[in-house]
This record gives sequence, structure tokens and C-alpha cells, in this order.
Amino acid sequence: MIEMHWVVIVILLPLTGAVVCFLWPRQTVVSGLITAVGLFASVLGLTWQVLEQGALRYAVGGWGAPLGIDLYVDGLSLLMLIVTAVVGLAISVYSSAYFRLDRAKHFWPLWLFLWAALNALFLSADIFNIYVTLELMGLAAVALVALSGGANALTAAMRYLLVSLLGSLFYLMGVALLYHSYGSVDIAILSQRVESSPAVWVAIGLMVAGLLLKTALFPLHFWLPPAHSSAPAPVSALLSALVVKASFYILLRLWLEVFPLTNTVPGQFALGQFGLAQILGLLGAAAVLWGGIQALRQTRLKLLVAYSTVLQIGYLFLAFPLASIIGWKAALYLLLAHAVAKTAMFMAAGNILFYGGHDRIADLDRVAQRLPLTLSAFGLAGISLMGLPPSGGFIAKWLLLEAAIRSGQWWWGLMLIVGGLLTGAYVFKVIGYAFTRSDLPHEPGFVPKRMEWVALVMALLAIVLGLFAPLPLALLEIGSPFGESLR
Amino acid sequence: MNWDTWLPLLIVLSSLLVALVIFVLPEDRSKTRTTLNLGGAALKIVLVGIMVWGVFNGHHYETRLPLLPGLDLVLRADALSMLFVALSAGLWMLTTVYAVGYLEDSPHRSRFFGFFSLCVTATVGVALAGNLITFLLFYELLTLATYPLIVHRGTEAARKAGRTYLIYTLAGGALLLLATIWLYTLTGTLEFTARGFLSTLDSSHHPVLVIIFVLLITGLGVKAAIFPLHGWLPQAMVAPAPVSALLHAVAVVKAGAFGIIRVVYDVFGIEFSASLGVTLPLAIVAAVTIIYASMRALFQDDLKRRLAFSTVSQVSYIILGIAIVGPMATIGGMVHLVHQGVMKITLFFCAGNLAETLGIHKISEMNGVGRRMPWTMAAFTIGAFGMIGAPPLAGFISKWYLGLGALEAGQDWVIFVLAGSSLLNAGYFLPILYVSWFKEPAGSWPAERCFGRYETALALLAPPVITAILALTLGLLASAPFSPLEWARFITTLEYAP
Amino acid sequence: MNDVLLLDFLMTLLLLFVPGLPLLLAFPALHSRLPWFRYLALLPAVIAVAIPEAHSVELPWLLFGSELGIENSSRLLLAMSVFLWFWVMVLLPAARDRSEGRPEDKYSTVFFLLAMTGNFGAILAMDLVAFFVFSTLLGYSFYGLLVSGRKNKARRAGRVYLVLLILADLLLFEVLLITVLTTENLEFAAVHQSMAQSDSLTLYLALVVFAFAARAGIWPLHFWLPLAYRSTRPAVALLLGIPVVIGLLGIVRWLPLGEISSPELGLIIFGSGLVAMLFAIFAGLKMAQLKMLPAYAAILVTGLFFTAVGAGLADPVIWSHYGRFAYVFIASLGSGLAVLVFAISWLQVRRDYPARSAGYADDSNQWVERWSGLVVVWAGNTGFDTLPRWRVWWLAKMRHLWLLIRIWQRQMGVYERSLQRWGLAITLFLLLAITITFVMASAGLSSSI
Repeated sequence: MIEMHWVVIVILLPLTGAVVCFLWPRQTVVSGLITAVGLFASVLGLTWQVLEQGALRYAVGGWGAPLGIDLYVDGLSLLMLIVTAVVGLAISVYSSAYFRLDRAKHFWPLWLFLWAALNALFLSADIFNIYVTLELMGLAAVALVALSGGANALTAAMRYLLVSLLGSLFYLMGVALLYHSYGSVDIAILSQRVESSPAVWVAIGLMVAGLLLKTALFPLHFWLPPAHSSAPAPVSALLSALVVKASFYILLRLWLEVFPLTNTVPGQFALGQFGLAQILGLLGAAAVLWGGIQALRQTRLKLLVAYSTVLQIGYLFLAFPLASIIGWKAALYLLLAHAVAKTAMFMAAGNILFYGGHDRIADLDRVAQRLPLTLSAFGLAGISLMGLPPSGGFIAKWLLLEAAIRSGQWWWGLMLIVGGLLTGAYVFKVIGYAFTRSDLPHEPGFVPKRMEWVALVMALLAIVLGLFAPLPLALLEIGSPFGESLR
Repeated sequence: MNWDTWLPLLIVLSSLLVALVIFVLPEDRSKTRTTLNLGGAALKIVLVGIMVWGVFNGHHYETRLPLLPGLDLVLRADALSMLFVALSAGLWMLTTVYAVGYLEDSPHRSRFFGFFSLCVTATVGVALAGNLITFLLFYELLTLATYPLIVHRGTEAARKAGRTYLIYTLAGGALLLLATIWLYTLTGTLEFTARGFLSTLDSSHHPVLVIIFVLLITGLGVKAAIFPLHGWLPQAMVAPAPVSALLHAVAVVKAGAFGIIRVVYDVFGIEFSASLGVTLPLAIVAAVTIIYASMRALFQDDLKRRLAFSTVSQVSYIILGIAIVGPMATIGGMVHLVHQGVMKITLFFCAGNLAETLGIHKISEMNGVGRRMPWTMAAFTIGAFGMIGAPPLAGFISKWYLGLGALEAGQDWVIFVLAGSSLLNAGYFLPILYVSWFKEPAGSWPAERCFGRYETALALLAPPVITAILALTLGLLASAPFSPLEWARFITTLEYAP
Repeated sequence: MNDVLLLDFLMTLLLLFVPGLPLLLAFPALHSRLPWFRYLALLPAVIAVAIPEAHSVELPWLLFGSELGIENSSRLLLAMSVFLWFWVMVLLPAARDRSEGRPEDKYSTVFFLLAMTGNFGAILAMDLVAFFVFSTLLGYSFYGLLVSGRKNKARRAGRVYLVLLILADLLLFEVLLITVLTTENLEFAAVHQSMAQSDSLTLYLALVVFAFAARAGIWPLHFWLPLAYRSTRPAVALLLGIPVVIGLLGIVRWLPLGEISSPELGLIIFGSGLVAMLFAIFAGLKMAQLKMLPAYAAILVTGLFFTAVGAGLADPVIWSHYGRFAYVFIASLGSGLAVLVFAISWLQVRRDYPARSAGYADDSNQWVERWSGLVVVWAGNTGFDTLPRWRVWWLAKMRHLWLLIRIWQRQMGVYERSLQRWGLAITLFLLLAITITFVMASAGLSSSI
């Protein structure tokens, strides 16, 4: 039996698809869908391979680490790939009905290109490659934001472009400093060589700040709500679910492998990391509060959902001060659950916009009752975001709380609960309108059934994640990416 | 053998699947919907019957599904859970019949019945939960499934009530979650065990355990409507009558009370709780709730509101029974779980009938209504006397054991609480009975509808009559085998075995 | 052998039917189809009176396990009751002509049969709980009988009766609890034995006497009795002896008379009996209407009975000598009252006997009703009325808070917009980068020192 190089296929397939879509714009939807399904299948293949063989390191073209390009898959990156594949497939199906042809021919190449960049990012084993893919991803994302046209979208896209470039630039400067000091960009090699020095301090400062900007952690989230709310619905979904998570992934990778400087006195440099972790935790907590309150005051649905992303990103950073395996797993499970649920939520918001032509929350009652599937999707996704059982969000919250209490830092857990209540408040602010009766009839638009069902399926998936947690959690163990972070 | 491991899951699924199918059913297929509903309810009753028989004969039913590493989703049939499961399965059937009659030709029935079934699924799940996390899971599901039912009418008042409900219950759920996880980090297990699993813990943890206990009880007390946390319940009476019936008798309020039973008996263990010194404050809180809510009930003119305050008061009987440490009081508390459900559902059915048939919502409009609707008011009378605790109705049995338990445990003050509550109960129920039977009707009813042969639609009339008869039978035949009383005795022998 | 079993079975059936048949017939659906149903309901009791055999039947499934039985003393009472009910039935058609076909007549039929059930059941009851259950049933249905007369005065009588009834029920409930704590077996004989040795004997005695005094309308808890006699229809008035009789029966049955000696309590009861008699003679006979005469007669006789009970309590020897006459006394009291009522109403019908000083009885009893109303008013004034006021205050506070939150929210909006300005954003960003560097550096420096 021929050994399939799934690792490479996962990157090359979407690239090819993008090119095909670009060259034959008439068949763009069909070829895009085929690529998406194929990609989903190849990620499954890769999963199967990794489950069989454990963590994989793959040298492209047969060249080894210091010179060539290395690809590396462990549980962490595999999970990210799976999230991307699942969300990507859903977005593809949704978009196939959402865009008319004139937009679709721009959308599909960009989207597949973005997908390729994401996959490459998750598979990269060195920090420079990560920079390259990050930049590619950012550019594609900006173009996608601009897709809907209109002044708002263009302003938001412009802002997003600047942010993206600035973040990448800072990251690149950090990479340059590390390369200058240690002569390598390979993560595995760096993790052995890096030690405490001024260059490293500055490098860490630059990289972390750049990545935080791209992850839109409070108070650097200013670009996110306009960008996410003015983009077309599938684009908002993929920005919230995937793009923001990519930079978080990088931060996590670096945090786990590069930042703990193994050859210094144990405990000493950990002190620095401890301080940084507290800062990140504090910012996360502030993001939870800020995002929640801002979401509550929004009068437009998509903005509300966007601020909800700000809140959820805050959750992710609460895992840093906990620094335990359970905490990391919780954060990643949260990432997974949030990606799925937020996709569903943006899709639902998109449907409502599609149907009613507006997304003013106060006038939702005219729309909501006509779209039961969409509203159910919104509600179910909301349950997961609130962290109510049974849902993926609940499992994540449970684990995170457990980690918080176990580490004796229960106050982070408290933030989690406050965030859950805030989420409950803004989700039900919307849901409440599904049940009120409106006297004013509404000029209905038409929503393709496919769009409604995809949203619902994603929302159900977010719920089901609450019942099958052991599987993804076991997946994360592969290659023990968190093994070193035990304190 | 296989059967034993899947039966609990089947019982949960029997209404869950019904709910899912109903959600996707088109609005106008009301025949199919009714068939499904009743079929599901009947199936559940049969399954529960099998299970009760099995548990009595020492069978062990347990479904275990992995939820998290080290934590399972456990559905288990023990004696205590059977008490609650049987109650909810039985009353669900009647409430479904009632709801079908009540909501005839009203909009959004698919949505309503879908969530209705979901609500019962959650209740049964709460009953069968074999550990705290499973309990929590279904408990929150119950919160979510009930919300659409409360706001079903879609009026501004309904939305407000729904909001209040959510604020209370979500906050309560959050506390519960916190306490559960805290407990888990301390012990590493959450399995419900007869006589608790915490007594082996080192005594240095005891202050923390007290805090956890308070958190748990506060979280559960929101649903059980303990005194300062009861605010949502009287507001939630804007919901349609079958929902109120379900809310007050079977689902939400009972889930809270049942949770408190579980926490006190199967998490902490009653003797251990007593040694922690947390039972007496709980008893006092329950007593205050009983008296306070009865006082409030006296001043309500809206019938359903009066009944709602009465629920607040009556549910605390259960909690009082638990908090008085002793087997007799335990029997009283547990048996009241069933008895209160049967009696209160009767009262709410009747209130619904009055509203639906004659448009009566206020007690001041009830003059002489007994002549127009004798069957309904007869059922109401039985329910009301049961609540007062008049013999030989079901409420008498509960009160009997509560009082006995209090004397046995040397807590004589409880007797005064019981007596005071009975007086107040009489004070707010008897005037209703008086005006409806003995006063002259005021000419015309607010909004009368005609239903042909009977005083109201048969689907509306039969359920309250059946539950009223049940309330009478539960009292009269209290010592018959498989009566709730005997079952509560059975449970108590397990909890207090030497 | 078989014959004995069969006979046993038949007797059991009969005993069950004595209270059971009236209960069944109380359902409108059943009795509306049957002719002579009232007499039919009476039939088992008549048969039971006629068969001179003691028999008892255990019903373990009923409540906490109950026992019904019949022996000579209870047969006497049963006979008296049957006699009373029978006469009422005979007289009913005459009383009915005015209310024929009205719904309240339908009700009073139901209450009539329920009261009959309660009466027979209480007489047959061999244990505390059964007695309690049946006498409560009697009490509430008797209230229904009183009130369905639909006169205002009847309502007042009913209300007073109801309040006393509820209080008595509560007390008896406590008595039951105390008893169960002392003994598992709730049969009268067993209770007598074990209560005689119990520590809480005095409490038990006091509660029982007080509760049944309220139910039987014994002075000073007699308020309802004159009111009731004055206001109800003659047919019901005939029945007024029944709660009195059952109340007295309760005292005889529940108290371990003849087995204990409690001089203080006995003296008090004896004294109150004497005062009751004096009261009845002076207040009652002198001032009341003729129609209320039986009430005062009842108070007089029950006062007499109380003196006897008091004496019996003080000296058990007396009771063991004369105690067996108690049943005879009670039975004759019931029938005597009925005869009195009958005679008076006959007199009234024959020649319009002048009614005297109508006002007195009304006013003397007003405070009882006011009392229950007062509780409500008092509670309203002292807190439960102000609670809503507090709520309003609290809500106003909350609204204020909400306003603050609104303002705060608007402020948040301003902040959010300022965050979205590039200058601030970039500054924050750079600050963050520098902070992180310094945090790392400070830790790194401390490690290198």
C-alpha cells in the first residue's frame, strides 16, 4: 500500500483548488465545493494516519530541519486542522448558496487560498514559515472583508489590513531577533537553545504583542468588531472561527515550546513567564468583561456576535495563568467549541440579514418567527457559548474551572462564570424576540434552505461536542504538546 | 442483562425523540403530534413501571456513557430516583392530555409541544442522574427547555417573566457549577452514594465543605423557590396553565427540591450534614419560606398568583423534611415530593379550566362558580383540602410524618410552623371554596365559552378529576404496597441503615 | 367452619358499608339516579344496629392502618344516630318545599350524606386516626350544611364554626403526633394504656379536652352553637346534636379515663363544667330566643358532662364505677336535643311564638369573627402590607441603579470609540510590547544576579 502524504496534500489541495476556481470562474462553486469535500476527507486521512503512527515530522523534498522546510503534526496542530476542516466545509456549503456568481468568483479563490494558508500555518515547524503563512492568511482575510463592498466594509478592511501588517511586522522582528541570536528558526531546535538574554526578552515582547494584536485581545480588539460585522456572513464566520484562532495557536505553540527556557535555572525564568501569564490572564479577564458589556449594549445583531468573539477570546487567555495540562486542554476545547458555535451564530445572523434585510435587534420579532431553524441554530450556539450543558462550551468551561480551582486561583474561574452570565444575557436578549408577536408584517426575503440547515447542523455539532469530549481530548494527547508545561 | 444497562437511557429517550420529531413536524399535523405525544407518554409509563418493579426486586439499572476523562454521564435507577421518575412520567401523561385540550387551535403548537417534551426529558434526566455532573447537565437543560414555555404567549409580560426566570436560574446554575467543580477537585468523584461520600474527607476540609454546601443549596434553592430566591415563580404564572401545572408540580420546582434531597442525602449524607451543622439553618430557612409565602398568598387576588405563593410555601415542606434530621421527617419530605405534585397540579388544572372556560382569573370573579363547573370545583376542593392537610387526603400524610419527624428529632418548634402554615393555608384556600360554592353568581362570566355536553372540554376536565382522585387515594391507601409512602419508607431504610 | 367464615365476611362487609355506602351515594352521579337513596344510605347502619354481635375489622391499607368495630356502647350511639338521621329524612320533604330544585339543595344533599359518613365512621372507629378522619369529615361537611342555608346569619355561624373546627383539627393533629411518639399502636385501648404512663400526659389531656370542647361547642367555646341553632333550617337544626355528640364521644374515647388520676386538670374541667351550667342557665335561658333554646340546653348538658369528666379525671374510681353510663348519657343527649328542636319548631309552626331579645347573642359573639379578620388586618399593618411597599422602594432603587448602568454603558461606548482611534490603539499596542519585554527582562535579570 502506498503511503499517502496527507500532510502535503492538505496544503496543496486547497492551493490547486484556488487556482482552478480562479481560472474557470463559471465553475467556481462546483470546483470549490469539490475541493472542500476533498480537503475534509484528506484531513480525516491525516487524522487516521496520526492516530496510527503518532506525531509526524515531514521534511518537504527530503531536506532536513535546519535547511529545508519541515512540517510537523502533533495533537495540537491536528486539532486545529480538524477544526478548520469542519468549519471550512460548513462555510463552503453555506457560501455556495450565499453568494451570487459575481461575488462567488472572487470569494472562492480567496477562501481556498486562506484555507491553504491556515493549514500550512498549523503544520509549520519553524517560526519563519509561520510568519509567511500568517501574512498570506492576513492578506486573504483582508480581501475577503472587502468583498461585500460599501464604504463601511472598505474602511474596516483598510483598518484590518493595517493591523494585520503591523502585527505580522512585530512578529517578524521577533523572529529576526531569535534567528540572529540562535541561528535557527526551527521550533524544536529553538526550544533547546533559547536562554535568557536581552535579545530574547525583546523578541518575546515583540512577538507576543504582535500576536495579541492579531488575536484581538482587549484592549487591542478595536479592529475586530467593524471588520467582522461588515464582512459577508460566511466571511465573518471564518474570521471569528478560524483566523483569530490561528494567531492564538502560534502564541500557544511559542509559549509551550520556545518561551520556557530549559537551560536556565529552573523556576527562575519561569518567574518571567509567570508574570507574563498573569498579564495575559488579566487582559483576558478584562476582555471577558468588556466584550460582554459591549455585546449587551449593541443594537445590531452582527456587532453583538462580533463582541461576543472578543469575550470568548478573553476566555482563551484565562488558561495562561493556570498553566496546567487541564487548563490547556480546556482552552483548546473552548477554541473548538467556540469555532463551531460562532460559525453557526454568524450564519444565523447572516440568514436573518438575508431574510429581513436588516439586523436591528429591536425589530427582530418580525423576522425571527419566520425562521425557526435559524433561530434554533442561534439559540443552540448560544447555549454552547454560555457554557451550559450539554455542549462543547460546557465541557471547556468545566475543565477550565477545574483547572482554576485545582491551581488555587479560583478568581479566574469566577471570571468564567461572570462571562457565562453576560453571554446568557446577550444571547437571550436576541432569543426573547423569537417569542414575541409582532403586529407589523414584514416584506420577507428568501433564505435558501441549505443556509438554514448548515447553521443548524453546526449549532447541533456544538451541542454534540458536549457529549463526545473524550475523543478530541485524547487526540490532543498525541505527541504530548503540553508535556513540558507541567508545573 | 443488556436490557438493564439501556433501560434508563430508553426512558430519557422516549420523550427526547418525541420532542425532536415534534420540532420538525409541520404546524397543521395536530393528529400526528397528539398521537406522538401520547404514545411517548404511554411508553414512558410502561418503561417506568417495569423499572419500578425491577428496582423493588433488587435489579440494578445503570447507563454509563463517558463524558470527560474520569467523569461519566450516569443514568441510574435507585429507589429515590424512582419516586421522582414515576411522578413525572405519570403527571406528564395527564398534563399532555390537558395541554392538547388547552391549546387547541392556538398558534405555535409544534414549538410548544416540542419544548414540553424536552422539559419532561430534562426532568426525568434529573431524576435518573447518577452523579452530580449528570444532574447538572439535565438541570440546566431544564432551565433552557422551560424558558420557551414561559414566554410562549409572546406578550410583554411573558417576556419579562421569562427574563426574570432566566436571571434567577442562570445565576443559580452558575453557583451550582462552581460548587460541583469545587467538590470534584476535592474528592475526585461525584457519584451519588447512599449516605454520602464526603464523610471520609479530612476534617481540615470541613469549612470548605460548608461553603460548598451553601453554594449548592443556593444554586438549587433558586429553582426550589426558597425564600429570598423565590421571586421568579409568582411572575412565571403568566405562562399557559399546563405549563404552570408542570412548572409547579413536576418539573422546575421539584427538580430544585429533588436536587436538595440528593445533595443532602447522597452527596453529603444526612448524618454528616448534621455534624457539619448545616441542617438547622436550612430548616430555619425552609420554615421562614413556609410562613412568609403563605402570608403573601393571603393577599393575592389573582388565582394563579395565590397558587404560586402556595407552591413556594409547600415545596419548602419537602426541604423542611430533609433538614430535620431523622427517618420520620425524611419520609415526610420525600412523600411530600409526590403528594404536593399531585395536589398542586390539580389546583392548576382547575385554575386553567376556569380561565379557559369562563375567563376567570381573579378570586373576586369566582362567586358561585361551583354551580357552573361542579366537577372542576370539586377537584379544586379536594386539592385545597389536601394542601391544608385535612385527613385523609395526601397532604395529611406528609404533614403527619413531618410533625412526627420534628418531635422525634426534638425540634418542637417545627410543630408550630406546621400548625401556623395549616392555619394560613386554610386562610387562603377556604375563602376560595366558600365564594365558589356558596355565593350567588354575578350574572355573567367574563368570557364564557361553550363546550357542549360537559361543563368544559373533556380533555380539560378529565385530568384534574383524575389527579384529585389520585390525591384522595394517595392519602387513603397510604399504606398499600407501592404507594409513595411505602416507597419513601423503603428509601429511608436505605439512607438510615445502621 | 365455613359458616363462621362466611358470617365473618358478611359482618366485615357490613361494617365497611355503614360509612361506605353514604360516601358512595354522596356522588351526585350515583344518587341522582336512585330513588330513596337517603334511606338506602341508612340501611347498613340499621342492619348493624339490629345484629347484636360485636365485630371488628382491620384495614391495614387504609391510611396508617385502621380499625373499625362495633360493640355495645357504640351500637347504642349508632342507634341514636340512625334515629336522628331517619327523622331528619322524614322531615326533609317538608323543609324542602321552599328550596326545591335549587342548586344549594343539591349541595346540601351531598353534604348531608358526607356528614352521615363522618358520623357513622367516627362511631365505629377503633383507633385515633380513623376517628380523627371521620370526625373531620363530619366537621367540614357540617359546615357545608350550615352554610348552604344561604342566610347571612347562617354564614356567620358557619364561619365561627369553621374557625373553631380548624383550630381543633390542628390541636388534635398535635395530639396524634404526641401519641405516635409514645406508642406505635393507635387503637384506643392501647393508647389509653401507654398514655397513662407517658410523660406528656397532661399536655395530651389538655389538648384533647380543649380540641373536642371546641368541636362540641362546650362553654367557653360554644359560640357557634347558639348562632347555628338560630339561623339554620329546622331540618339542619335537628342534626346539630350530632357534632356535639361526636365531640363528647371523642373525649370519652381519647382520654384514658378511669386509668389515670389528674386532680388539677380534673378540678379545672369540673369547674368549667359548673360555670358552663351557670352560664347556660343565666345567660341562655333568660335572654335568648326560643329557637336558640336547644343551644343553651346543649351547653347546660355538656357542662354537666364536663363536671362528670372532671370528676372522673380527678378520681379514677368514680369513672370506673359510672363511666359506662357515659355512652348512654351521650346518646340521650343527642336524641334529647333533637326532640327539643322538634318540639320547638312544632310550637313555632303552631302558634307564632314571640321571639325575644334577638340582638344579644349576635353581639356577644362578634369578637370571635373579628379576631380572625383582625389577624389579617394586623398582619397587613405590621409588615405584609409594607412588604410590597419595600418592594416598590427596592424596585425604585433598582431602577436608579439601572439608570446608572445606562449612563455607565454610554460611557463604555465612548471608551470603546476612543479605543478605536488609531493613536490610542497604537500607543496601547506599543506599551503592551514594552511591558512584556520588561516583565521578561525583570525576571531574567533577577535570575542572572
